[in-house]
Amino acid sequence: MSSTATSNAITPDLIIPFMNAVTQVFQKMVGVPATVQKPYLKTQTASTYDVCGIIGLSGQVAGSVVVSFAEAAAVNLVESFSGTRFKVSDPDFADAIGELANMIAGGAKQHLGGVASISTPSVVIGKGYAIAGMSDIPCVVIPCTSPRGDFAVEICIKRHKAA
Amino acid sequence: MNFNPDDIRTLAETVWEVTLAVPLTVDTSGQSSARGRSTVGSIQITGAWNGAVLLDCSTEVARKAAAAMFSSWPDSVSMQDMQDAVAELVNIMGGNLKSLLPEKCYLSLPSVVEGGDYSARVPGSRVVNREEFSCDGHRVTITILERLGEDKRAA
Repeated sequence: MSSTATSNAITPDLIIPFMNAVTQVFQKMVGVPATVQKPYLKTQTASTYDVCGIIGLSGQVAGSVVVSFAEAAAVNLVESFSGTRFKVSDPDFADAIGELANMIAGGAKQHLGGVASISTPSVVIGKGYAIAGMSDIPCVVIPCTSPRGDFAVEICIKRHKAA
Repeated sequence: MNFNPDDIRTLAETVWEVTLAVPLTVDTSGQSSARGRSTVGSIQITGAWNGAVLLDCSTEVARKAAAAMFSSWPDSVSMQDMQDAVAELVNIMGGNLKSLLPEKCYLSLPSVVEGGDYSARVPGSRVVNREEFSCDGHRVTITILERLGEDKRAA
């Protein structure tokens, strides 16, 4: 049996918009240059880093995007973005992480080749937790580096083909 | 908008009964048990209404749900099974709650967070409903959040 309505293959045209969005958002909105490295397939469920902003996509392209920061990098990058050095426990810190995830997903959305809407971001902060999307969709990690710390963008999305 | 708490309770109890054949009872004690390791499934609703549905349960409940859903023994289910089970439950809950919304809305795919030392927040949103349940003595919480408009977020 084969499905013609949905493609679970994660292809470069679903990855490249996020790579471009990371570069542009960090350059223009955070004021910190970010370098994207070679993407790889995620094989374990543990979050890449301790501070994660999660955005859901729905519509013709659906799934989730996780922007995952090392804690020190998150504090530094939020400071660059907002002009204020927040504690991790501050609600405004979570708000800023959510906004960074929102801008990256929003920047990529228009280049994904389908109508998609992005959700309210959710933010998870802690240690040793795992984030899982749908198990039938592969997850690709884009490692990113910046002068203020490392982070990663995890993409777990699929495209619904038009009927 | 707030959902009718009775609708959420009835929906949750029905989903548990039909999907898992496991009873879920409303917990009105107001006493939250120790959190411990937990699994939180979330699904987002976008469109005419924007918000999220969170299903927060203990790992014991996730294990029991996975065993019931995949017809296996609780001891033999994997972490992936538990995450899939909670994802499916929150997906069903989100789909049914979406049908209570008056206008066209869309569901995201679910995501699941599992661990013992983390906090999950949805910035820029407010809790409109929170219902507590018990499943064989283990806690289950369903929270519905509504995204605030830009004017309220800035306030």
